[in-house]
Amino acid sequence: MTGPEAGTRVLIVEDEPIIAMTAEDLVEDMGCVVAGSAASLAEAEVLAARGQFDIAMLDINLNGETSLPVAAALQQAGIPFVFTTGYGSGAPVEAFTGVEIVKKPYGAAVLAAALGRLAARVRGRDGGTGDR
Amino acid sequence: MAERVTLPSGGGEMGARIRAFDWSATPLGPPETWPAALRVSLGLCLNSAFPMCIYWGPELTLLYNDGWAPVPGRRHPDALGRPAREVWPDIWPIVGPQLAEVLATGHGYAVSDQLLPMTRAGQLEESYWDYSFTPITGEDGRVVGILNQGHEVTARVFDRQRDALLLGLGDRMRLLDDAEAITRMALATLGPHLGAARVGYGEIDHAAGTLDIVANWRRDEAVLDLSGPHRLGAFGDDLHRALTDGRMFAVADAHEDPRVAGRPVAARYGAAGIRAGLVVPVLKGGAYAAAIFVHDDRPRGWTDHHERLLGLVAERIWQERARAQAQRALRESEIRPRLIFEQANDIVFTADLDQVITGANPAAGLALGASPQALVGRSIGTFIAPEEFARTTAMLRRKLADGGTTRYEVEVQAPEGRRLHWEISSTLARDGDGAAIGLHAIARDVTDRHRHELEQRRLIDELNHRVKNVLAMVQGLASQSFKGDKPLTEAQAAFQARLAALASAHDLLTREKWEGATLDEVVAGGTHPFEGYGTRVSTAGPAVRLQPKTAVSLLMALHELSTNALHHGALSAPAGRVDVRWWTEGDRLLIEWQESGGPAVTAPERRGFGLRMVERALAADLSARVTVAFAGPGLSCRIDAPLPAHDDRVGA
Repeated sequence: MTGPEAGTRVLIVEDEPIIAMTAEDLVEDMGCVVAGSAASLAEAEVLAARGQFDIAMLDINLNGETSLPVAAALQQAGIPFVFTTGYGSGAPVEAFTGVEIVKKPYGAAVLAAALGRLAARVRGRDGGTGDR
Repeated sequence: MAERVTLPSGGGEMGARIRAFDWSATPLGPPETWPAALRVSLGLCLNSAFPMCIYWGPELTLLYNDGWAPVPGRRHPDALGRPAREVWPDIWPIVGPQLAEVLATGHGYAVSDQLLPMTRAGQLEESYWDYSFTPITGEDGRVVGILNQGHEVTARVFDRQRDALLLGLGDRMRLLDDAEAITRMALATLGPHLGAARVGYGEIDHAAGTLDIVANWRRDEAVLDLSGPHRLGAFGDDLHRALTDGRMFAVADAHEDPRVAGRPVAARYGAAGIRAGLVVPVLKGGAYAAAIFVHDDRPRGWTDHHERLLGLVAERIWQERARAQAQRALRESEIRPRLIFEQANDIVFTADLDQVITGANPAAGLALGASPQALVGRSIGTFIAPEEFARTTAMLRRKLADGGTTRYEVEVQAPEGRRLHWEISSTLARDGDGAAIGLHAIARDVTDRHRHELEQRRLIDELNHRVKNVLAMVQGLASQSFKGDKPLTEAQAAFQARLAALASAHDLLTREKWEGATLDEVVAGGTHPFEGYGTRVSTAGPAVRLQPKTAVSLLMALHELSTNALHHGALSAPAGRVDVRWWTEGDRLLIEWQESGGPAVTAPERRGFGLRMVERALAADLSARVTVAFAGPGLSCRIDAPLPAHDDRVGA
């Protein structure tokens, strides 16, 4: 398993407390740092604006709202992220081509691999390998 | 002067009769005494090839030639030497005054087409004549006799009357388009023309073996109505046989005619008031197909003219009825598809090969917000998106290449920005030579079905999403329950209890169709582990409605507090109790969990799942300030949340 390197700061956006707590535990178990955990769009927007994280995982549906405005902001800021969702084909994320979708329920291995790929992009960018 | 007087020689049969006649017994006296004027006139008369007679003297004694002999019918030869008044009692009202006028004035008289109702062959007949009365003057200048020249023109008059009748009938029939009305009109014209009591027309119904009298005109209400079906042969076998053979059947006087009088059929004639009758068949393809008849309630002679007239009128009625029936059938065959077109709920339209609309029904107009007429001349492309138009064009090409019918759905742009989904079935219209000339299309608005399908897909997606979310929650509960170094059996029990709590939350929401739940229901579900603790537990508060997602989180949080109370808190001691209260203060909702009477409380070294759940879930879902205190009589938890505004949003 190629997870994110220890100390990677992760923003978790998830409105279901039980799932959020589990995600936090999984992220911490990987040796990463939960830089923030948001349960609503409003909270997520505040945390996203503040920054201080390397990668993010966004639940698409936030109790009737969607996290798409946050996704747009992150894309603008060049912060890699994945979507997490229980949606099958119906996820309204056509606009975000190239963004990985981690389907719920996700296990530790799947999440670690996805977050590992995000972290690699961060390293590539910071190392100046010219992928943007 | 004793000049030898002889009557003119020659003159055929009448010449001979006149010479042989005993004139001495007549007002004329013996021929020797006849004045020269009479003898000269008689010579002229007998030698004329033209019908001619002489009325002589004040009594108008009659003398006539061979040409004139048929004029008085059976009265010949007895009419010779008789006074005119005695010869012509039937027409005397007409000719008497005319003769008297000539005698009185000495002026000749001529008339053409004079109607003379004359008794001939025993029956009173209508006859028409052209004739003249020329005065013969004596030596003293007085009128002594009248020379009559004349000939019958009945045939000519009848022909002319018949032609006029048929002409007028034809003109009026063409204005009618109902077979019965045509028949009634023709009979109503014919009846008075014949001066008959009844005229009728019937057609053979071979299957029923009847003559169906379509209509009969009657002189007045006293004349019996014979319309309706009559068994063939009902008016005698002689009549039926004649008609079947294509011959007319005439009865001048039912009381005298041996085919009627004294036979069973006489009763029928009597009942129908038929004294005289003429029936003429209409033959079609050589077979008896219809009949026309004229009846009278007095003896009456029938002539060729009558037979001919009836035959012609019947033939005209037959033709006009056939025309009317054909027109009606055509009209109905046109009206029915037209009605289907007009009244169909489905949209029907036609277009040419450039997909320009050439016709549309009201349903099409209604759907597109225009009158059907206004749609004509507009391209189908006006109503559908360009890519859809490309598709219909491709469909048209396919039909032109392979024929057949194409069936497809298009999105149609209706007025006011409405988008409709039409399922169109279209076929090529071809001319008589099979060349494609346009399109016939039937469209059905399937917008509702389409919307329903989309809704169904959305619901399935939503269901899938929820199931995945629940699975993720179950996964979370599992990983939380089995975390750390708790004994496996204890972890399993905790996990099972949590699953049961989650299930009861879902039961609650299912009962409410996922529209929410009330706080007391949520508290009852969350404190389910307290079952059997009776009065050691109390819950109380007003009705407050919660959102579905909040209800699930709160129920799970209360479940954690309850199990904690049972295992470590107040209810782990015999006298401990738990009181749950909630109330509202303005726009705030306050929930208080108070344990008492249990073991002394101490803050845990590490916050376990339960506590985290309480703080997190409530903070997130209720936007609540949550205060958990490990002091005083027992653990207390105070939740201070904005009063949830109920809405219908579906939680995730």
